[in-house]
Amino acid sequence: MTKPKELLEDSEGIKKLLLANEAIARGVVEAGVRLVALYPGTPSSEIGNNLTFMAPHIPNFYFEFSTNEKVALEVAGAAAVAGVRSMMVCKGPGLNVAADPFFSLAYVGVRGGMVIVVADDPSMWSSQNENDSRYYALMGNMPMIEPADPAEAKSLLLEAYKLSEELELPVLFRTTTRVNHTRAPVEFGKIPKLSDKVEFDKEPYRFVPIPAVARKRHPWLLDQIAKAKEIAEESSLNFVEGSGELGIITSGVSFNYVREALESLELEAEILKLGITHPVPENMIKSFLTKHKRVVIVEELEPFLETHSRRIAQRDNIMVEILGKEQGYFSRTFEYSPRIVIEALAKIISRNTSINWDDIEEKEKSLPDLPPRPPLLCAGCPHRATYYAIRTATRGKAIYPSDIGCYTLSIAPPLETADILFDMGSSITTACGLSQVTDQDVVCTIGDSTFFASGLPGVVNAVYNHHPISIVVLDNRTTAMTGHQPHPGTGVTGMQEKVPPSDISEVCTGLGVKYVKVIDPLESVVDLVKEIREMVSWTKENRAPAVLVSKAPCALLTASERRRTGEYPPIYFVDSDVCNSCKRCLNRLSCPAMYLDPETDKAVIDETLCNLCGTCVSVCPQGAIKQEEE
Amino acid sequence: MSGDTRNTINIVISGVGGQGVLTLAEILAKTALASSHNVRVGEIHGMAQRGGHVVCTVRIGPNAHGPIVDPGTADLLVGFEPVETLREISSIKQDGYVLLSTHVQYPVSVSMGKSEYPSQKEILSELNKFTPNIFEIDAMKFAKKAGSSRSLNMVMLGAIIGTGLTPLTKQAAIESVTSAFSKRFEPINSRAVELGFEEISKQFTK
Repeated sequence: MTKPKELLEDSEGIKKLLLANEAIARGVVEAGVRLVALYPGTPSSEIGNNLTFMAPHIPNFYFEFSTNEKVALEVAGAAAVAGVRSMMVCKGPGLNVAADPFFSLAYVGVRGGMVIVVADDPSMWSSQNENDSRYYALMGNMPMIEPADPAEAKSLLLEAYKLSEELELPVLFRTTTRVNHTRAPVEFGKIPKLSDKVEFDKEPYRFVPIPAVARKRHPWLLDQIAKAKEIAEESSLNFVEGSGELGIITSGVSFNYVREALESLELEAEILKLGITHPVPENMIKSFLTKHKRVVIVEELEPFLETHSRRIAQRDNIMVEILGKEQGYFSRTFEYSPRIVIEALAKIISRNTSINWDDIEEKEKSLPDLPPRPPLLCAGCPHRATYYAIRTATRGKAIYPSDIGCYTLSIAPPLETADILFDMGSSITTACGLSQVTDQDVVCTIGDSTFFASGLPGVVNAVYNHHPISIVVLDNRTTAMTGHQPHPGTGVTGMQEKVPPSDISEVCTGLGVKYVKVIDPLESVVDLVKEIREMVSWTKENRAPAVLVSKAPCALLTASERRRTGEYPPIYFVDSDVCNSCKRCLNRLSCPAMYLDPETDKAVIDETLCNLCGTCVSVCPQGAIKQEEE
Repeated sequence: MSGDTRNTINIVISGVGGQGVLTLAEILAKTALASSHNVRVGEIHGMAQRGGHVVCTVRIGPNAHGPIVDPGTADLLVGFEPVETLREISSIKQDGYVLLSTHVQYPVSVSMGKSEYPSQKEILSELNKFTPNIFEIDAMKFAKKAGSSRSLNMVMLGAIIGTGLTPLTKQAAIESVTSAFSKRFEPINSRAVELGFEEISKQFTK
């Protein structure tokens, strides 16, 4: 909630409480970056959310929400090739989408500094996997820097640009959820002036990697990485802290947990904290391993530094015990905590922890079973009406390929309309595959932002190969899950300009879909059910894809608009004289604003939570849910 | 056996997405920074936020490096809702404090008849197994009194300061609230902080 304009304050030396993502947005300004392109993805989302509102106030700066991560990396890569500083930002799975240009960019290199921010998500708070992006640096031979906290998120970003320019290579700036979503004091630095446009100097035999060029660039890249190793050996980003018999090698957020664990155990140890984690400073690690009899490696997810350490120890014949994941002291899954590090270190040095966590866990187990409260579609969410209608129209018997967004939450009862999901855009393409090998109806759902990001090739594929699938586009006019960023269908750009929006129904017609309709899901649930039935039978008869755009703004946008204008429609209520306690509204909609009054056994609408969508009105067979008269 | 947090106060805030848990944590931390304290806030965004159980941490003091508060190390557990308070009770250290808003928000699983909501009495007796220091407040009542059910988190902010467990003053808290929101909401928010503060400081001095 630090306001974007606060991040533009030209007040060197002041300290502000910033999310690491806000610190990165500030770092963009302090580093004199000219262009940032990204597709939003949690845990990196707030970087773009701030930059889009900062951008119009920074002379000569350009920011865009690209249609997807591959596009973003190409846009930002070209800017850096032209000679200005640029940035691309994504979440872990987003880098998978951008993998193709990622590898080419390392071969051709850049002229202006370039940073690729990738936010991994250990514990999968909002991702479909927790793959460890550090291996991209290794596989693509791209230098990598890992900050440990919000202050480093900014200070190391400035270092990343220097490193990038020194090596003429993009730098991978790898964060994790607990860095991105931690708030801490961050000190502001100077804001430089940005230069005007640059002239693009042609150099095709560097920037067009035809085989003859690529064969020259690969050895060049390996030379640059050798240089990077020399830089890493001398860099202040890799440092030693404390002293003691025990050695600990760590990086990123785990550094904080190591510090807290040592304080808690009152244990002396020497810490080697690595800020540059590719290429690793081999000599530094070598002397560290030589100095200690036992070295513990603390890093979340895969044994990246651990494998490097073992490799160096083996190569240089160092007699040292390296303790980490291979002996089971640490896990390869989920994020760490001080406790995890305390328990592992206590085991290694044969000590007890000051807190008996087994006791606490025992006590916790004795608690009664609490009613679960998983995340779910918000009160007033238009997707609830659409999924209710899809399920009703197909009697729960169709296959429901889903996609990535808030609407994946329809997996839960009673909607239960998410059956298969791989990645962004896979709703349409998995529907294609399923329609060819089953006789079941296939109704897939995809959000508006996801449709533009990765849905289009799937639509073309369905038309070209005439797959009989029903595609419902859940158009809530925003990228809701990641914090309401605009997309091509909204008519707003990253620079906050108004442009003609791309119309999803027109796009589908243009791609050759013969059946395209648009409906407002909050208008009439009965009509919505009818429309879906009709679409499903059309696909069967015509052996071709059909599209229904279910269009109504995200409930959170509607709610904030109402708060802004102060204009509210009349409230809904359950007429308890008419309600016969059938509970259909509660059991079929699972709306968080409705509950059962334990005393009367009748449904009640909590008016402080209701977002006034009215979907429940048409679900009640008794007509007991009513709207107050104006 | 108590967690050694050495001059660092660990606060865990538990509630339901949409109740303003993240906003409260940020305002509390801004108040700490404005009062020259080191501070860390841990948040979870994205899918985890949608109407589900939300937990946030605030750590104030020189030894806060990372954002995580482990089980058994929280000095204060702030619960925006009874069941959500109980869900996080194992975070509390021995003789830690619990601040509990008594207003119930039924989870969908309860409305659908798939699970039962424990009675207030049962919740309190379970909390008591972890610590006797429990302070209740009907924050929804005070929020409505202040002028909006949405100011519930500001009532809780006042209540946190009212415990006297943090090194923060009510005045500093109100200043951060004022600078964070638009002028339009200032009277409601300040009043909400005052009401929460009053209610809990009254209970604490008893």
